[in-house]
Amino acid sequence: MAEKKRSTGWFRMDNAGLLYSAIQKERYSAVYRFSVVMKEKVQPGVLQRAVDICMPRFPGFQVRIRHGYFWNYMEQNPAPGPFVQEDMVNPCQPVRYKEDNGWLVRFFYYERRISLEVFHALADGFGAMAFLRTLLAVYLRQLGHDIPNSDGVLDVTQPPRREEVEDAYIRYAGKRAYRDPMGKTAYQNVGTSEPFYTLNVTMGFLPVDALKKLAKGYGVSITEYLTAVLLKVILDKQHRERPWKEKPVALAIPVNLRGLFPTDTLRNFILTVRPVIDPRMGEYTFPEIVSQVHHSIRQMANRQRLQAQFTFTVRIQENAFLQRLPGVFKSMFVAGRYEAEGVRPFSGTYTNPGVFRMPQEMERHVERVELILGQATVPRMHCASISCGNTMTITFAGTVKERATERDFFRFLVKEGLPVKVESNRPD
Amino acid sequence: MSYCVNCGVELDKTARSCPLCRTPVCNPNAPVDTGSPTPFPTERKEVLPVTQLQLALLLSAMILSAAICCGIVNLFLGGELSWSLYIIGSAIVLWVCLVLPLLIHNIPILLRVVFGIIVCGLYVYLISLTLDGTHWFMGLALPIILTGGAIVILLSFLRMNVGRSILTSAIVGIGCAAVFVLLLELFIDRFNYGGWSPSWSLIALIGCVGLMIPLIVVRRIPSLRESMRRRFHT
Repeated sequence: MAEKKRSTGWFRMDNAGLLYSAIQKERYSAVYRFSVVMKEKVQPGVLQRAVDICMPRFPGFQVRIRHGYFWNYMEQNPAPGPFVQEDMVNPCQPVRYKEDNGWLVRFFYYERRISLEVFHALADGFGAMAFLRTLLAVYLRQLGHDIPNSDGVLDVTQPPRREEVEDAYIRYAGKRAYRDPMGKTAYQNVGTSEPFYTLNVTMGFLPVDALKKLAKGYGVSITEYLTAVLLKVILDKQHRERPWKEKPVALAIPVNLRGLFPTDTLRNFILTVRPVIDPRMGEYTFPEIVSQVHHSIRQMANRQRLQAQFTFTVRIQENAFLQRLPGVFKSMFVAGRYEAEGVRPFSGTYTNPGVFRMPQEMERHVERVELILGQATVPRMHCASISCGNTMTITFAGTVKERATERDFFRFLVKEGLPVKVESNRPD
Repeated sequence: MSYCVNCGVELDKTARSCPLCRTPVCNPNAPVDTGSPTPFPTERKEVLPVTQLQLALLLSAMILSAAICCGIVNLFLGGELSWSLYIIGSAIVLWVCLVLPLLIHNIPILLRVVFGIIVCGLYVYLISLTLDGTHWFMGLALPIILTGGAIVILLSFLRMNVGRSILTSAIVGIGCAAVFVLLLELFIDRFNYGGWSPSWSLIALIGCVGLMIPLIVVRRIPSLRESMRRRFHT
């Protein structure tokens, strides 16, 4: 369906896109940011040329969102831009559909850093990484370097392929639909809200090899290990607050479905799993938390379960009655469900898209890669990590004043014997 | 390079304090580098608030036209403003509730309450005009509205600045209810009989005080509070 509509210049939104456009508010947008720190200072003019070359190759990013009577949809944006801007201290600001020429991607530069901000309705981290990788390759070529079209760099001289804008949720929706029972309300880990619009970002850098060795010592992956550390830190924080009744601590961990359902789509194709530790069952040692996380993630992230889950949401999307319901009611319904099923059952979000792959010729120009998850709907911290070369960047970002979560997290890693370097945009 | 003495993390050479615990950097061998660029930009930008002026104008026009039309029809058919005052009053209430928040972002809660009291008073005044009842408005309705409003303002103020515990809120709420009931009887008695002979309000007052005393005791004695938590835990 999406392929058919593409020729007329508009796309239906995919399942995740519908969600993120429905929960969009004046003061909140699901925006995330990928940044690459180069070894040389960024040249904004060259970067703008690279953006201009890349945008037509990524039709899923060259769009604006329109309100249809029944559904929101995306259409090709003929407006000039997007334009490269000087970076600011408070990233991932909410997007406005009718401002900035309707662009839902933004490009920033600061000293040696190039940043790409994407509204989540357009693409998930995989799509954004493909875009950033290609943009970086074009930027370096503009500077005279020879960068091949390999390791995920797309050929900008070729037209975009239909598979890159397909709705993979619909493609892989199966026969069995299953809805996970709604998780119990988790400890919310909220703090004092900063004034609008302030996003506090704290980054920690650590060597991947040492981290991998440590995780391997527990018999788990890096994602599982860091998830366990975050759960432990939040559990301890809740315990220190001495609530009347302790609540479960749960994290939303996005899973890239492309590993299980092969597709070349650069749009959204993710689901979240929910590892949870319930302190009402008793006290957990850290190795026990690691073990719980390891087994629960593996149990939840299996092909049949994930397919049945997104089939359920696709069925809702295709329900004849709901399709004929005016869009404004659908948005209200989706926003309400998101609060109940996407916010309350979780204490935070942690995402790890893994290694930022790139050709060797590019790697020598790049110092590290960073990922920032934008604001949450409530004042709490989100955590994201990404690695490039031997540097793992772990970022905490949120609109909350307190620093307890990130402080305890990085202190824990230091106690585990990892060398951590920390930087932040908070004022000294 | 400097390390935080509390957290053990390495810090950026431009950092004046640890971003995790705010411990100042004090390294005689590597003073803070004030010349190099900081890891993050320092310039702050902000998305402009969405203007809702158009929607406010549209709603204002709708409300105003309904009020004016009803007023004119009432004036021409009845010769005087009577039933249309109800609609005009409702229009004012609607405007304050719907349009004002669109025009002014983040109205403080106290200001909202003040607006609410004014609008409520105005609406009752318009009703009193249609019923030839300015005497009961001035003698009874206005004092009751002002007293109720003052209590709501006091509660809002306490809610924002004092404790937020369930016990404190319950004590203050019951106390305010007792005062309101007492004053209510005062206004009614003064309007009807010209004096004050408290009767039913005293019963209510005693009941409220009877509820407040054990709550205050529980609030002030930690062991009792803990015991109550244990007994009433859900």
